[in-house]
Amino acid sequence: MLSRLPAVVFAFAAASASLAYGQSALTSGDPLIEARETRAWLTRIQDAANKRNFAGTVVVSAGGTVASTRIAHYCEGRDQFERIDSLDGQVRNVFRHNDVVHTVWPQRRVAVVEQRDQMSSFPGLLQAGSDRVQEFYDLKPVAVERVAGHEANVLVLRPRDKFRFGYRLWAEKATGLLLRAEVLGERGEVLESSAFSEVSIGIRSQLDSVLLPVKRLDGFRVLKPVLVPTRMEAEGWALKASVPGFQQVSCVKRPFDGAVRVVVASGAAEQALQTVYSDGLTYVSIFIEPYNAERHSRPMYTAIGATQTLMRREGDWWITVMGDVPAATLRQFANGIERKH
Amino acid sequence: MSQWSESKLPPMESLSSLVDGELEASAVARACGQWRDDHETRAQWHAYHLIGDVLRSDDLATDGEHDAGFLAAFRQRLANEPVVLAPSAPSVRQAPIPVRRRSWATPMAVAAGFVAVAGVLVVTQMSGGLSLRGGQSQADLARASNVLGGTVVVAAGPASGAVASDPPVVVLNGQLIRDVRLDEYLAAHKKFGGSSAPGGPSGFLRNAAADGSAR
Repeated sequence: MLSRLPAVVFAFAAASASLAYGQSALTSGDPLIEARETRAWLTRIQDAANKRNFAGTVVVSAGGTVASTRIAHYCEGRDQFERIDSLDGQVRNVFRHNDVVHTVWPQRRVAVVEQRDQMSSFPGLLQAGSDRVQEFYDLKPVAVERVAGHEANVLVLRPRDKFRFGYRLWAEKATGLLLRAEVLGERGEVLESSAFSEVSIGIRSQLDSVLLPVKRLDGFRVLKPVLVPTRMEAEGWALKASVPGFQQVSCVKRPFDGAVRVVVASGAAEQALQTVYSDGLTYVSIFIEPYNAERHSRPMYTAIGATQTLMRREGDWWITVMGDVPAATLRQFANGIERKH
Repeated sequence: MSQWSESKLPPMESLSSLVDGELEASAVARACGQWRDDHETRAQWHAYHLIGDVLRSDDLATDGEHDAGFLAAFRQRLANEPVVLAPSAPSVRQAPIPVRRRSWATPMAVAAGFVAVAGVLVVTQMSGGLSLRGGQSQADLARASNVLGGTVVVAAGPASGAVASDPPVVVLNGQLIRDVRLDEYLAAHKKFGGSSAPGGPSGFLRNAAADGSAR
C-alpha cells in the first residue's frame, strides 16, 4: 500500500498539472472534447508566438542543410514587433511591426517592404481551419521533455489520411511557446526539424531594435511589390477538384520581377497568380503564370526538406504547386486546375 | 688568413650573403666549412644575427648565454633520446609489391580526378540548364545522380502511385541545384506563413529561417 502511494500521488499531480493548463490528456475518446482540446493546444501555441516576448536562436535543419537564425519577438499591448536575423550565409534582416514587414539585405543595399494583410486574412487562418484540424489530424500529448533549457509538452499530430505530413511539437510548459518542431514523412521519418538552441521567454521589449533600423535605409534600393487581391475565377481559373481538408485562404496577383535580385529584368514585371490553400495547419501555394520557354525549362518535382514543389506546363501556362505536403497532394492540386476561358 | 684567401669573395662578404640567403650553392658549402673551422667566423656569424635581431626587435637583443644554455640543454636531451631503428631496405622478395601498388594506384587517382571533374561539370550543366536551357535529357539527370553518389536522386517518377506523364523526381539535398525561380517561389510561399503566424504548426520556427537559408 505504501509502495503504491507515491505512484498515485504522482499520477494525481500530473493530471492536475495538465488540467491546470487547460489541457487534460486526450483519452476521452469523445470527438467533440478531442476537437476542443486539439484547438486549445494549437491556440495556446499560436497565442504564445503572438503575445509573448521572447528572443533566441532557431536552428533549422532540412534536406541536409542547417541554417540558424536569431529571432526576437515583442508584444506591447496590441502591437507586435519582430526582428529576424539570418546568421548563415548572406546577411538578411527582417523587421516586422504588425503587418508591415521590412526585409533588408545590407550588403546588397536592398530593402523590400511588404504589407502582410495584402496577402491574406491572417491571423484568420487558424480560426478558419481550427475545427477541421481535428478532422484531419490526431493530436496527442505524449511526454514532457526538456528543450533549450525549458520543460516542454511533446505533442504528436498524426495525419488521418495520406494528403498531409505528421508533426511532432515541443510546446513550452508554462507559456505554450513552440520550442521545437519536426515534420514527419509517411514512414515517420523526420523530413525537417527546427528548434530553439537557446531562448529567453518573458524578456523586456527592445522596440528600438525593430523600429530604428527601418528608418535608416538611406542609400538603399527600397522595393514595394504590390500584391493585388483577386479571385481564381476572375482570372479565368478554377480548381475543379480540391484536396480533402484544404480551403482557399488567399488569392493574389504578385509581381515576379525578382524583387530580391539586384538586376531587375528589363521592362514589365512578370505577374504570377498565387492561390493559397490551407488545412488549418499547413498550406499549399499554386502559382500560375504564362508559359515562357526561357524561364520554364523543364517540368520537375523537387523536395527540399519537407517542402515539395511540382512544376509543369499546361498548354500556354506554367503551373507551380508548392507546399509541405506529400507529392500525391501536390499532384492532386495540379490535376485539379482548370482553365475556364 | 690563408684559408680565406682561397675564396673568391672576401670572407665577411660571403658570410653576410649567407645570412641574407643570397649565396650560391657552392659558395654556401665553402662558407659553412669556414664557419665550422674558424672561431672568428662563428663569432662574426653570431654578431650578424644579433644585429639583425636588434633591428627587428629589442626583445631579441638578449644576452647570448641564454641561447648557449638552451643549446646545451637541447644537446643533452637529444643525446638522451632513444635511437629509432629505421626499417631495413626492402629485400628482393618484397620489392615487387610497391611496384604493383603503384601501378594500381595511378589509374585510381586518375579515375578519382575524372569523377570529380565530371561531377562538377554535370552540376554546372544542371544549374545552368534548369534556369536557361530547355530540353536537356533526363539521361543527364540520371548521370548526375550516378556521379554524385546519391546526393541528387533522380527517379523516373514518384515512388508510389506514379502517373506516366509526371515529371522526373529531383530530390534536392542542400543547395546543389540553384534555381533563382525556385527561390522566388519559395520566398513567396513562405511569406504567406508570416513569421509568427500559425501557417504551419511550426509556423514561425520554420519560416523564420526557411527563406533565409534559401539564399
